[in-house]
Amino acid sequence: MTKSPHTSVKHFCPFCSSVCETFEALKAHVLSEHQSESVPTPEGVIRLTVNGQLYQVKVEPEWTLYDLIHDKMGLTGTKTFCDRGACGSCTVIMDGRAILSCMTLAIECDGRSVETVEEIARNNPVLIEKYAEHHAMQCGYCTPGFVVTAQALLDRNPSPTEDEIKEALAGNLCRCGTYPQHPKAILEAARKP
Amino acid sequence: MANEEITRMEEMFDNLRADRYPLKQYNYIGKRVVRRLDGIRKASGSAEYTMDIQLPGMLHMRFFTSPYPHAAIKRMDTSKAEALPGVRAVLRYDDPELPAVADLGGHQISVEPVIPPIAYFQGQEVGVAIAADSEAIAEQALTLVDIEWEERPFVLDPEAALQPGAPLAMPELSPYGNLFNEGMFDILQLGNVEKGFAEADRIIEFKSTRRLHTWAAPERPCGVFKWNGDCPEVWVKQQRPHIAKRAIASWFGGIPMNKIQMHCPYQGASFGGWSQVNWNMAGHYCAAVLARRTGRPVKWTFTRREDFYGGEMDEGVYYLKVGAKADGTITAVEGNATLANQVWPVFHILKHLIENTRIPNIYGKVAVTFVNKGPNVPTRCEQNANTHTQTLVFDHVASALGLDPIEVALKNDGADGHDMEWLDARKRERGFEVRDSLRECVEKGKAAIDWDKNWHPAGTKRLPNGRMHGLAFTWAHEWDDSAGSSEMAIRIERNDGTASILGMGSDNGVDAENSYCQIAADELGMRLEDVHYNPQIDPGFFRMTPDSSSNMSVNGFAIRHAVRILRRQILEAATRPTASTQRGSFPAAFPDARPDDLDIKDSVIYVKADPSKRKTLAEFVGPSGAAGPMSSHEALGVRTAFSVPLFAFGYHIQMGTYNPEQPRPRFCRQAHFMEVEVDTETGEVLVTRVVNVNDVGKVINRGSCEGQQYGGTYMGVGRARSEEVIYDQVTGVMLNGNLLDYKIATILDAGPIDTILVETGMGYGPYGVVGIGEDVATVVPALLGPAVHNAIGVWIDDYPITPDKVLKALGKV
Repeated sequence: MTKSPHTSVKHFCPFCSSVCETFEALKAHVLSEHQSESVPTPEGVIRLTVNGQLYQVKVEPEWTLYDLIHDKMGLTGTKTFCDRGACGSCTVIMDGRAILSCMTLAIECDGRSVETVEEIARNNPVLIEKYAEHHAMQCGYCTPGFVVTAQALLDRNPSPTEDEIKEALAGNLCRCGTYPQHPKAILEAARKP
Repeated sequence: MANEEITRMEEMFDNLRADRYPLKQYNYIGKRVVRRLDGIRKASGSAEYTMDIQLPGMLHMRFFTSPYPHAAIKRMDTSKAEALPGVRAVLRYDDPELPAVADLGGHQISVEPVIPPIAYFQGQEVGVAIAADSEAIAEQALTLVDIEWEERPFVLDPEAALQPGAPLAMPELSPYGNLFNEGMFDILQLGNVEKGFAEADRIIEFKSTRRLHTWAAPERPCGVFKWNGDCPEVWVKQQRPHIAKRAIASWFGGIPMNKIQMHCPYQGASFGGWSQVNWNMAGHYCAAVLARRTGRPVKWTFTRREDFYGGEMDEGVYYLKVGAKADGTITAVEGNATLANQVWPVFHILKHLIENTRIPNIYGKVAVTFVNKGPNVPTRCEQNANTHTQTLVFDHVASALGLDPIEVALKNDGADGHDMEWLDARKRERGFEVRDSLRECVEKGKAAIDWDKNWHPAGTKRLPNGRMHGLAFTWAHEWDDSAGSSEMAIRIERNDGTASILGMGSDNGVDAENSYCQIAADELGMRLEDVHYNPQIDPGFFRMTPDSSSNMSVNGFAIRHAVRILRRQILEAATRPTASTQRGSFPAAFPDARPDDLDIKDSVIYVKADPSKRKTLAEFVGPSGAAGPMSSHEALGVRTAFSVPLFAFGYHIQMGTYNPEQPRPRFCRQAHFMEVEVDTETGEVLVTRVVNVNDVGKVINRGSCEGQQYGGTYMGVGRARSEEVIYDQVTGVMLNGNLLDYKIATILDAGPIDTILVETGMGYGPYGVVGIGEDVATVVPALLGPAVHNAIGVWIDDYPITPDKVLKALGKV
């Protein structure tokens, strides 16, 4: 095993705080003891899967996941309306859960798998068509956030009731007030085989 | 060119009568359009907004904002900011390249300093703009700017601003005092109110307060400026890209219009709002200077908080006195209001009572005052103060007299102090079918909400869940037909014969683009899927964006004229040979027919007498490059089809009802019903049902109309229940400029919403339309007060009606 050139640097395991002499040793430790590969490299490089594709990217400590996917990866469907976790426009699905990408630091996403609206549109065109059909949008800026939230709901509950849909969408703000049209679109999309 | 439509186009500019030339049959108009032009793009995230624009080498620019509500820069040191790695250019207010003033008008010409050295409100963009490699670096650089301020006294409350000894809020703009308009009150008068009060059986007086609320549009104000040599290329988030272009053309000693390339990507909504505020165009001006200095494109952005500075024009205090007879006939209304920071103080508070009631005696006096807060501009829309007043006047009268508010409304419906008989005569003389719009709206709304069963005296109905039940009604006219001008064009594409509409406008989400396609498809006889419209590109034609209280009554005419002219062109071209070349002319598509023998249906031209003689539009127009030297068909001696280029434009201009010299009574009405539950322990008000009935004259795009009814309701409920921009009274600093602390409505904040559309055909637009976009959001807010009053028996005339005010009204705090 090669020794790190920075011999004074100690590598701490993020799971159990064990000290390893080299980064490679830390990786081997994490893999064997914690069955995980989720170790940020010292240089701030993370590996994450976005829409099924593996990315290895260097991130700055202050970058949010939104900054990474919107500004750096050019996946501009994810939007920010509020900038502080109040509006849901930046919602993405991470490892099966709808999360707010503007409130998530990119550097914490090593080893994660993220699904954005672009992938949802490819995989569930019926949901997109129903959104268009029911005018579940006006200016459209917040719409991708609703679609992602809806998909996360459908993933865990393929036949939601109207009340369950409303509850799921309660964290998404739409200033144009398109709210009543979303449950119609989602209910019809859910009914489609 | 002899084309009857051109004569008609010119004839209809006055907009003073019913549409004399509607279609006989509608195929797409009035139908629910399944295919929203922007639907797939917006839902799938592929719709691109100005905020999404990224160009190679693009810099990010941010403004310094004032920490004080009123302060002047005495000295500014930007050296530390300039030295920060990643900072590429700094533009100071005293930069020699900045003119003293420039046209920064987003809605009309407005000449202002580009970067002012004096702040009149906390959060104002002053002093310096910095372009850097990233927004974060620009932000960090702003913290390194060292400014020595001259702090000045400030005033926030509009009534306090008029008190003797009040600090001057904006001394350079208004040295004589805080009363706008050079110290003049805005007076509106009809009849004689003293006489009206003398005739009344009852005098009702009340005070109402509307606190500051704002637009909170999803996409932050932003823009991108790039120089291609001496030609600017600009991406705007702006409701009126043509006005922005006009302003840009006046900069730097003048830039020819034909050298400016505009892009107007999808707009994350404006609702008027920032589009009308000078700093929006100041962003472009500074970006233009810094883009030229650095040789790189510059994107400027405001933060979410910076978007919060500014608001709707109804902020203020209203004192109302109403005289009424015992049967509900209103004899006089007198109103005094003090409103804050109205940029355009022309809309008053009692204008609607003149425009759509028979009340013969009205006197309104408005003081518009300068205070040290952001500018208040039309925010869906400038009529909020008028609808606020109308709702409260009618519902206070009904309540005081113990009458059904619907009966009071019907008793006072009219216009300009005249009754319905007078108004019906105006309908008749202007060529409209005489219908009673309010009565039709009311009947439908009453049935939907089961008014006769559910209406009850105030404070008398407690529900099984313990909450108090309230029901309320209000009404107004439909005013979305005000003014504007528009030019639109349409062309038929070679190869496939599809139609493209041309005309740059801001797509602010109301699906207006689909409505124009519906008109084009019906008028041309094309399939809707064969008509497309991309309003984001700049073909030189400038369509009016749905704003200024107008859309279809202007753009609908413009596109209809263009399409009718084009249709005639097609039929004429189809019956005559085209283009005489060395090989002879291209034969006519229908050599034995005259234009009137032909018709178009489903994108196919056919002979009316023998529909088997037909050509699709694609077959008729022929391929591009049909007769080129390399054309194999030509080489084989086969003549391909070739038509003249098929292109037409139309335009429309109207002054609408804001023209005092040519008043135009409005005939269409809207009615709104709201049901609430009030928790008397917590003060919480739940809006459990809203019924909207809008007489839009004629429905063009049903889904779009319903969208405005849904959206207007949610915006209205938010404005009524929770929306208030709050300033700290001691420091003058805004406290809640974010979407956690400024509460707009969520999906859970309103119960079921009914969207009922009435079509009396009494609008002045094409096919009898009048608009709907502003009406619901503007009328619904004030309705919460009467609904809460009906629930708890106490008036709360202080908006927003928050739980603490409810508990106070109930004597519990």
